[in-house]
Amino acid sequence: MNTETLLKFILIVSFGGAFLTYILGKISRVLREIFAVLTGISVVVFSLMLYGKTGTLIYAKNFLGFSLLVSINNLSWLFLITLSVVSFLSVVFSLSYIRGHERTDFYYLMLLLVNAGMAGVVLSADLISFYIFWEIMSWSTFLLISYNRGPALSAGMKYIIMSVVGSAAMMFGIISIYTTYGTLIISEISIQRLSLPPNYILLLFILFSIAFGIKNAFWPFHIWLPPAHSEAPSPFSAVLSGILIKMGTYGFLLFMYVIFGMKVFLELGPSFFSFHNILCLLGAITVVIPTFTALLQYDAKKLLAWHSIGQIGYIIIGISLGTSLSVAGGIFHFVNHATFKALLFLTVGAVEYRTGGVRDLNSLGGLIKKMPITFIGALIGALGIIGVPLTNGFVSKWMIYKALILKGNTFLAFAALIGTWGTLLSFYKFLHNIFLGQLSEKYKNIKKAPFCMQFPIIIYSLIIILFGILPGIVLKVINTILTSFGFESLNVTIWGIASESGILNTINIFTAVVIVVIAVWIISRLGAKTRLVAQDDNYAAGSYIPKEKYNFTAAFYKPMTRIIGPVLKDIVNNFYLILGRGTVAAGNGIRKVYTGDIGYYVIYIILFLAVLILIKVGFKL
Amino acid sequence: MINVTIVKVLEFIFYPLIAFVIGIILMGLFRKIMARIQRRYGPPLLQPLIDIIRFFSQRTVSHGKIFSFGVILALAGSLVVLLFIPFGKICPLCGSGDLLLILYLMLFTPISIALSGGEGANPNISIGVSRKLMLSLGYEVPFLMIILSVMSFYKTTSLVEIIKYQQNYHWAIFNFPLIIPGIAYILILPAMMGVRPFDVASAPQEIASGPVVEYGGKFLGLNHIEHAIHMFIGIALFIDLFLGGGPNIGLFLVEMFIIFFIAVFINAMFPRYRTDQAIKYLWRWPSILAFIGLVLVRIHVKF
Repeated sequence: MNTETLLKFILIVSFGGAFLTYILGKISRVLREIFAVLTGISVVVFSLMLYGKTGTLIYAKNFLGFSLLVSINNLSWLFLITLSVVSFLSVVFSLSYIRGHERTDFYYLMLLLVNAGMAGVVLSADLISFYIFWEIMSWSTFLLISYNRGPALSAGMKYIIMSVVGSAAMMFGIISIYTTYGTLIISEISIQRLSLPPNYILLLFILFSIAFGIKNAFWPFHIWLPPAHSEAPSPFSAVLSGILIKMGTYGFLLFMYVIFGMKVFLELGPSFFSFHNILCLLGAITVVIPTFTALLQYDAKKLLAWHSIGQIGYIIIGISLGTSLSVAGGIFHFVNHATFKALLFLTVGAVEYRTGGVRDLNSLGGLIKKMPITFIGALIGALGIIGVPLTNGFVSKWMIYKALILKGNTFLAFAALIGTWGTLLSFYKFLHNIFLGQLSEKYKNIKKAPFCMQFPIIIYSLIIILFGILPGIVLKVINTILTSFGFESLNVTIWGIASESGILNTINIFTAVVIVVIAVWIISRLGAKTRLVAQDDNYAAGSYIPKEKYNFTAAFYKPMTRIIGPVLKDIVNNFYLILGRGTVAAGNGIRKVYTGDIGYYVIYIILFLAVLILIKVGFKL
Repeated sequence: MINVTIVKVLEFIFYPLIAFVIGIILMGLFRKIMARIQRRYGPPLLQPLIDIIRFFSQRTVSHGKIFSFGVILALAGSLVVLLFIPFGKICPLCGSGDLLLILYLMLFTPISIALSGGEGANPNISIGVSRKLMLSLGYEVPFLMIILSVMSFYKTTSLVEIIKYQQNYHWAIFNFPLIIPGIAYILILPAMMGVRPFDVASAPQEIASGPVVEYGGKFLGLNHIEHAIHMFIGIALFIDLFLGGGPNIGLFLVEMFIIFFIAVFINAMFPRYRTDQAIKYLWRWPSILAFIGLVLVRIHVKF
C-alpha cells in the first residue's frame, strides 16, 4: 500500500470505527467491544506500516476555499505510533473497567473520537485541519472527563473553559498567519518564515504558546489538570496524561522546529529573556513546584496527576533548551512518560476496580499479596518515573540533565535533579500505601485483576524495561527527527549513547546488575534455609494483637510536609479564582445596566437625548 | 590483549572483596572507638565478620518474595555502584557511565530496602523508611548542588575525568571556589553515612532499628555486608570528588580512615536529631554554603 492510501485508511478507520462502535453498541455488547478493539488495533497496524514513509494526502479540495491536507513525517510518525498504542491498550483495559457502567456506548464513542482527533492533529499538514482536529479532541475530552458526573462535572468545566481560551488564542494566531502569509499549509509557511520581523513571530509564538501551554498544562496553566485527571475514568486518565496533554508538546515542536525552525526560535526575544530561556525557566518551575505538591496528596490519582505536570516540565526543558541532546531527551521523555504514566494510571484503575472505587492512599494497604501483577506493574512504572537506571525514564532524564550541565545551566539542572527526589518520595508513598504494609480486613477476599487489565499492564512494563536496556530503538527514530530539524545527529547505538563527554552504556549496566544479582543470590543460598512466616506471627511473637492497628500510612511524611506545606500553597489556582470572581463581578455590574428590560433601554435613550440637548443648550448659552 | 582482559576480570572479582574487607574493618573500628570513648573495652576488631558468619548459619524468617528478593537486590545495588566508583586506579565499569549514573544507581539500594521492608508490614519499618527518605531528600538538596558545582567547574560529568584534572592540578578542596562546596560536603557527610546525629532512620531506641527490624539470620547478614559496602562507597565518593581520588591506594586508604575518624567522633559527641530538626539543619547551613559555592563556581567558569 502506498502512503496516501494508508493515511486515508487511518482517518477513515479511526473516525468511522468510533461511530460504528457507537451504532453497533446499540445492538449488542459483544459486538461493540469487538469493534472498539478492532478499531484500536487497526490504527496501530496502519501506523506501524507507515514507518519511515513520507507523503501528503489532500483529503478535501475545497473546504471554505482551502484544501485540507494530511501528511506523515518522522516526527508525526513517532507521535502517531505512541498515541495509537496507548489508545489501543486503554481500550483493552476499558473492556473490564467500564463494563456494567451506564452510557457505555457513549464512553467508547468519545474515547475513540479523542484518539481519532489526536491522530488527526499529528497528521494534519495545514493549520485549518490542525484546528478542526484539535477541537474535536478537546470537546470529546471534555465529555469524557465529565463522564462520571458529580465532582467530575466541575473538573470538566474547569478544563473546557481553559481549553476554549487556548483555542481562541490559537484561532487568532491562525487568522493572523493567514492574513500575513496568505496560506495555511505548514510547508508553505515555513518557506516564507524568514521574510517577517522577529517581533511579529514572537507575537505568534506567544499566542500559540497559550494554546499549547494550556493543553500541555505546564505552570502556570496547570490548574485544570489535577481535578480532570483524577475525576476521569482511569483508562481515559491514562490517555489523557499519557498522550493527550502531549499534543501541546507536538504543537510546540511543530512551531519551534518545523514551521519557524531552530534558528528563528532560538533567537527570539532579548538575549537573556529570550523566548526559549523563559520556556526553560517555566519548565524548571513546572518540575519543582508540582512535584513537591504531589507529596502532599493522599488521593492516588491526584498524586499521579501532579506528577504529570512535573514530568511535562522535563519535556519542556528538553525541547526548549535547543541543543541536539536536550531536544532528543525531551522527545524521548515524551515517549517514556506516555508509557509509565499510562501504566501507573491503569494500575490505580485496576485497584479501584477491585476495591470498589477506593483510591484514598490512607485506607488501602497490603494489596501485594492479592494483586501481584498489578504491583509489579506499579513498581516498574514508579521506577520509570523516578528515573532509576535500566528503565526508559532514566535514559531520557539523563540526556536532559547532561544537556543542561554541558550548556552551563546549573540552576535548571539542579531543579531537574531535585525533582527526581521529590518523585522518589511520593512514589514510595504511593507503592507503600496501596500495595505494601498490612492488608486491611475488608480487602481479605479481593481477587487479582482480570486479564483485560493485566494485559496492558504487562505490555507497558515490558516496554519500559526494553527501552531502558535498549534505548537505541527509539533514539534511532529520534535521530532522524533531529536531522530533519537541522540539529547534528547524536552518536547513538542500540544500547546507549556517547555524547561529548562521558557515555552511557545501558547493556553493560544491565549485564553487571544481572551478574551481581545472581552472585548475591548464590551467596544467600549458602546460608541456612528460610521459612515463610505470617507477618503478625513474627511481629507479636505469636500472641494476639488487634488487627488493622499497625499500618503506618496517614501523615507518611509529616515532618517534611510540615516544613514544605506552607510554602506550596497553590497561588496560581487562587489567582485564577480571583480572576474568575472578578469577571463574574464585572458581569454582574454590567448586568445592572443591561437588564434586558425594554423600559430601561427607553430610559437610557431618553437620558442620552437629554444629555445631548443639555450640551447643545449649554453651548448656545 | 588477553592480559588486559585478565586484569579486568580480576578487578571485577577482587574490588568488591577489598571494599568488603575495608568496610568490615571500618565497622569494627567504629564499635571499638565508640567503646574507648565511652571508657569500655569494646568487641574485637573483627566482630562484625564473626557476626555475619553466625547470621548465615541461623534459620531465617521471610514474609514473602519481595521481602527476600529486596534484601538481595539491595546488596547487589550497592555492589554495582561500587563497580563505578574509582578506587585509586581500579575502576571496572567507569567506561559505561558517569557521575549522573552513579547518582541514580545509588537509588537501587534504598528502594530495594524500602520495598522489602514494606512487605515486612511492620509499622516500625514504615516509619524508618519514611524517615530515611525524608532525610535523603534533606541531604540531597545540598549534595546535588555540590555535585553540580564540581561538574560545572571541571566541565565534565565523568568521575574519571574529574579525578584526572585533580591529580594534574590541585585537589578540588584546595581550589578557591570549590572549597565552599567541599565544606558543605563535610557538613552533610554524617547524614549521608547515617551516623548520629542523623541516625533517625535506624534509631534503635525509638523504632527498634527501623528498616532492618524484621530481618534475621542470613538476611541480617546480607544487610550487614551491604552496610559495610555502603560505608566504603560513602567515603570513597568524597575522596574521589574532593581529595584527588587518591593517587595511589595507600593514600586513598589514609584519607578514608581520617574521614572515618571524624565521622566517628561526631557520632560520639552528638545526641540524635528529630527528623524535622535534621531536615532543617540540612536545608540551612550546608545548603546555603553549597548554594554560595554553586554561584561562585558559575561566576568563576564564566570569566
